[in-house]
Amino acid sequence: MKLYLKAYSSFMDDGSIDIKKELKQKYKVDTRRQDKFIHLALYGGQLLKETCDMREDDELFVTSGVGNADIVQKTNTYMYKENQPLKLFDFINFLGNTTSYYVAKSLGMKGKNIFQISDNFTYINTLISAYASIMNSKKDAIICSIDLLSEPSEVIKRVMGVDEKTELKSCVNYQKLSLNPTGAIAEIEFSLDEQSTSKEEIKPFETYASYAINCALKDKKDLLHVEIMNNKKRTIKVKNLT
Amino acid sequence: MVNILSYELNYAKSLGKRTLDNGTKIPYFSLEKEIKQNQEDIYSAIKEVVSKVLPEQRKKTALFVGTSLVDWYLVDAINACAYEKKEPYKSKKRSIDSYAKDLAIEFGLSSFTMTINTACTSSANALLEAKNLINAGIVEYAIVVGIEVYSPVMSSGFAGMELLSKTKPKPFAQDRDGLVLGEGVGAILLGKDKSSWELLGGFSNCNSQTITSVSSSGEECVEVMQKSLENCALHVKDITAIKAHATGSQANDEAEMNAIKKVFKNEPKIMTFKQHIGHTIGASGVLEIGYLMNSASMGTYMCNYFGFGGNNTSIIVRRHDEIIS
Repeated sequence: MKLYLKAYSSFMDDGSIDIKKELKQKYKVDTRRQDKFIHLALYGGQLLKETCDMREDDELFVTSGVGNADIVQKTNTYMYKENQPLKLFDFINFLGNTTSYYVAKSLGMKGKNIFQISDNFTYINTLISAYASIMNSKKDAIICSIDLLSEPSEVIKRVMGVDEKTELKSCVNYQKLSLNPTGAIAEIEFSLDEQSTSKEEIKPFETYASYAINCALKDKKDLLHVEIMNNKKRTIKVKNLT
Repeated sequence: MVNILSYELNYAKSLGKRTLDNGTKIPYFSLEKEIKQNQEDIYSAIKEVVSKVLPEQRKKTALFVGTSLVDWYLVDAINACAYEKKEPYKSKKRSIDSYAKDLAIEFGLSSFTMTINTACTSSANALLEAKNLINAGIVEYAIVVGIEVYSPVMSSGFAGMELLSKTKPKPFAQDRDGLVLGEGVGAILLGKDKSSWELLGGFSNCNSQTITSVSSSGEECVEVMQKSLENCALHVKDITAIKAHATGSQANDEAEMNAIKKVFKNEPKIMTFKQHIGHTIGASGVLEIGYLMNSASMGTYMCNYFGFGGNNTSIIVRRHDEIIS
């Protein structure tokens, strides 16, 4: 399977940027009734918008390793620890595709819009899904890969399969992908199930593959990315075309 | 050509009541055997329907889950460490897709698993994504599971928005007063083998007036119905009947009816199922197509699903007069 990469954006939160303020002041994006997870997704979208044109019917795929842990924790605390009624916009933000709705609105998109999570190979499965979809529709796809480090960080660490001392950061990565090579900055080839002979598992965290691709593009390098789980191997080959 | 090869449904057979955390009683379609809100019980429910897939088909089979459910692994992690009583640290990779991953490993399926959260269109969108994967030759079969179990958060959220009926669901009726939620689990097996049912295709978009509703004119619904026909190379005259989303809420039923009138000049036959099984939210895509297959005669059926987050989906299925390949 092969796709052409037309544009990308990458943002890893080191705490130096007030994302909500930046969205409001620099990008004039409505941030009301939203939460940190949605703001992070919107911010990455605005960074992508600075690098390319978006079409109204581009297909949007939002994927996450863990999802919006912040809102689950907030809701859980309200309802079960403080016996407060569920707040209307917390309920709405609780639904996965609320994030993809706001991203689409902020980018002027009205086409297909899917919020999806894959536990096995989070990013690569979304890449395969987007490929299959645009093979059918002949449109372009935008993939948003997002994971938010919520507080306390122990919550995320408990569902990520990591050591307690692992340092984590919030990150959002976007790619605009197409079947058409014209104007592409990179070519991405990827596979489904290859049998692995390695006894070792290679499980990069969550949406890391998306970040790795964007780093290679930024450095104008080619990349071979490998993930192995349960004797199944997936590879992504990135060939820089610039 | 992608066909519906097999399906299993487990939905509520009668209307009962549930009590919300604030003591309010709401009408609700509960399953006879209660599925509790923890991963083991949900896992068992999915396992029951997936076990119907033949062993020789499994290695080439992707698994999709469509649900609006919260990730209960995350809730467990929150409860384990975010409050006063902390539990010793332990970590295992878990997400809402872990049910699918565990099933894929247990049944020897492809490692392609995917859980789609697009509110009421979740498993309908999962059907279209699964069809794309088969058409692109990436897998040969796909199991699409729709699941929704009673959730205090979902029910309280709908109650807070004053969208729930106080009596019973009355889709498209003059005196309709809201929707009634329900729980259920359904699974559909898709592939290119011979079958009398074909999944012709469909269309999905994200377009609405607000995050919770389409415009009363139903223009967003018109778009998905028209593009769904276009994608399947069909005309309105080819549609035998419409399986309407028809939740029983004032605004959404009005929008859908207005949209149907705009797309179909001669009013087509309309079927509604939520008065029988309730609104099963993320599971409704799979459950309502299965419910249609239980009773529909030869013909071509348009199935509509409209959800929060502006997500609108229309799927077209056909029952042939003979088994086709």
